[in-house]
Amino acid sequence: MNRNKIYPRYFAFGALIIYSVFFFLPGLIGVGYSFTDWSAYSDELHYVGFQNFTTVFSADENYMKIITNTLEFTLITTVLKNVIGLILALLLTRSIRLLNMHRGIVFMPSVLSTLIIGMIFKSILDPKAGLLNSFLRSVGLQIFANKWLVSSELAFGSVMAVDIWRGVGYIMTILIAGILSISPDYYEAAAIDGAGGWNKFRYITFPLILPTLATTTVLNVIYGLKVFDMVYALTNGGPGKATTEVLYTAVFKKFGTGQYAVGTALSSVMFVIMIFVGIFMIRVMTKNEVVE
Amino acid sequence: MKRKILVSILSLSMVMAMLAGCGKGGSTGEAPSGSTTEKAAPAGEASSGDDVTITFMASQDWIQDAEMELGEKFTEETGIKIDYQIVPSDQYESLLMTKINSGECTDIFGGQSSQFSIVTQFDVEKNAVDLSGESWAGNVDPAAAVELSAGGKLYGQPIQDVSACWAVAYNISLFDKLGLKIPTNYAEFTDVCEKIKAEGIIPIYECVSDGWHHVCWTEAAIAATQADPSYPDKLNNNEDTFAGNKELIKMFSQLKEMADKGYFGDNYMSNEYADAPASIASGEYAMVLYNQGLGAEVNAADSGFPEDNIGYFVNPLCDNQALNVNYCGPSRFIFSGSKNIDAAKKYLEFMASDESLAYMTENVGKFNQLPYSNAPSAYSAVVQDFYDRYPEKVAVFQASVKYYNPAWMDIGADMSAMFLGEMSPEELLKDIDKLRAEQAAAASDPGWK
Repeated sequence: MNRNKIYPRYFAFGALIIYSVFFFLPGLIGVGYSFTDWSAYSDELHYVGFQNFTTVFSADENYMKIITNTLEFTLITTVLKNVIGLILALLLTRSIRLLNMHRGIVFMPSVLSTLIIGMIFKSILDPKAGLLNSFLRSVGLQIFANKWLVSSELAFGSVMAVDIWRGVGYIMTILIAGILSISPDYYEAAAIDGAGGWNKFRYITFPLILPTLATTTVLNVIYGLKVFDMVYALTNGGPGKATTEVLYTAVFKKFGTGQYAVGTALSSVMFVIMIFVGIFMIRVMTKNEVVE
Repeated sequence: MKRKILVSILSLSMVMAMLAGCGKGGSTGEAPSGSTTEKAAPAGEASSGDDVTITFMASQDWIQDAEMELGEKFTEETGIKIDYQIVPSDQYESLLMTKINSGECTDIFGGQSSQFSIVTQFDVEKNAVDLSGESWAGNVDPAAAVELSAGGKLYGQPIQDVSACWAVAYNISLFDKLGLKIPTNYAEFTDVCEKIKAEGIIPIYECVSDGWHHVCWTEAAIAATQADPSYPDKLNNNEDTFAGNKELIKMFSQLKEMADKGYFGDNYMSNEYADAPASIASGEYAMVLYNQGLGAEVNAADSGFPEDNIGYFVNPLCDNQALNVNYCGPSRFIFSGSKNIDAAKKYLEFMASDESLAYMTENVGKFNQLPYSNAPSAYSAVVQDFYDRYPEKVAVFQASVKYYNPAWMDIGADMSAMFLGEMSPEELLKDIDKLRAEQAAAASDPGWK
């Protein structure tokens, strides 16, 4: 190991100071506030212990459902975005006509504003006059015409479906880059050995894009835990009490009603969940990594 | 070594530059919260009208086209531009409160008036500008002014006609054709709905997706006030609860029954308030809970539908036969942290002028009598007949009960949960008590200690 090639520690000081002052410290202060009765209605601040956390985990409240919704959203969208993204990436790395146009079409939703997508899909999924139900009725499939965003059974699934549609192109693009970085020599050697398409995928493509898949998983998990705008635009947490409510929409509403302390307690719970998820993912991702 | 020193100096200067940059931002940010003279400086600039744009945020349907037309005239006269920011109603309250609480609100913001919630929710004494000394302040209807005042000072300016109330608007010719009479209790109302439904017409246009409209049915809670006139006071002193009140259980049970019997049709969860006039004009629906301007709006949606073909009767839940009056309504407030206070005051003065009030009354169908002494009256015969039919007037909970109005959207979410079968009326009432207790606790209300 050449010691001269390692940068000195003080190179990191600037970034560390900025990170500490603008990210770490406010986060810590936020956790501190979750132990108080901080609200918009009073200038006084009192220590209340774990009262806000008791509220968050109380059986009378919806917060546990909100936390479960967030985790469910994260898990399902992460898995489906990766699977669908991978299938699309495999299809769009073959020699087909108008390849870039196809890639562009799939990628396009990712560059659109989530709020605009939300508003468009609110109209598309309207049970009475929406494009989807109108189409289903016109082809005689009215049995499948549903109340996509306003029934308690389908609303959460619909929100996740729209989010997957929006995010899958982005994941596909990253995976295409991963697939294209695999040397064609492997495939040629495998072909000589008589390997078919499935075996090539199983023994060459999949193992070699695992690090890329790990990256897309991290991106999806972080996005899923922090999701706000898609839910806000499509259902605002409804229909009903908390059918599609996720942590950030709940925090937003608590801040909106001036109940800052409960809002920060919810954020703190989120913070702890993210730490655990983060540690777990770093461990999994660095398991096979070799340090030079 | 030299390299180390150079790197250290560069790193240090970078950090210093960053902190200096932040420092500059902080000093400008502090200026508005300084002394009044510091605040007056930018406002003075604003009054000249040079490149001043005031921002005005309000919920959907609070800023009418007529107001924006007047806004253009105001810009022509003063040079002050207005940036209207209209927010979907289901998202407005959260957004407004977040902006107010973070100190980053627009110059003018729209908010529901109520002598209780303007203090507990908006904290107007801190977040809004005192408008008592404005030239138009004395013209505001005294009953409306009470709902906009705190500590003897006026903080808001009414936007809409508060004489109007949420009543059942119906298609008169359809009622005549089917031989239907105005119902005088809930049983008669369900008979009317059944007869309309039998004709293949959806009895009531309801729109839950906006998050607020279906809560207007709860104005029938005046039945609880009629049963016990001291009930609102008991609620305000935390001596009684919503849970267990017989009239309120009846009200929510009847609402749920209306939804279950199909009186709202299949799409009430996704219907939107803005489509109500067109839906009535199309003949697909027969009735809608609306204020007394629906006739003009239906006529605007379909000129073949006469304006006076819309009649009104009171919300019949709990067999109510009293007029549910509410002198509260959407109002304009000037944000105390605004840099354009003088310009915003000029806009409010312009909107309260004789000409502007006359223009608004003439051009907005639902504005019959704006709450100003200098506003003209435009009640039609149909509307006058409606008001004359119900001599008894009772103040709605929105105006008479503390922490009810701030919980409006949450109650709306609970009600949609009730329609979906996730909550019973009794559970809903318990949740209203909980929502009010949360607000009261946050406001350190002595009644809840």
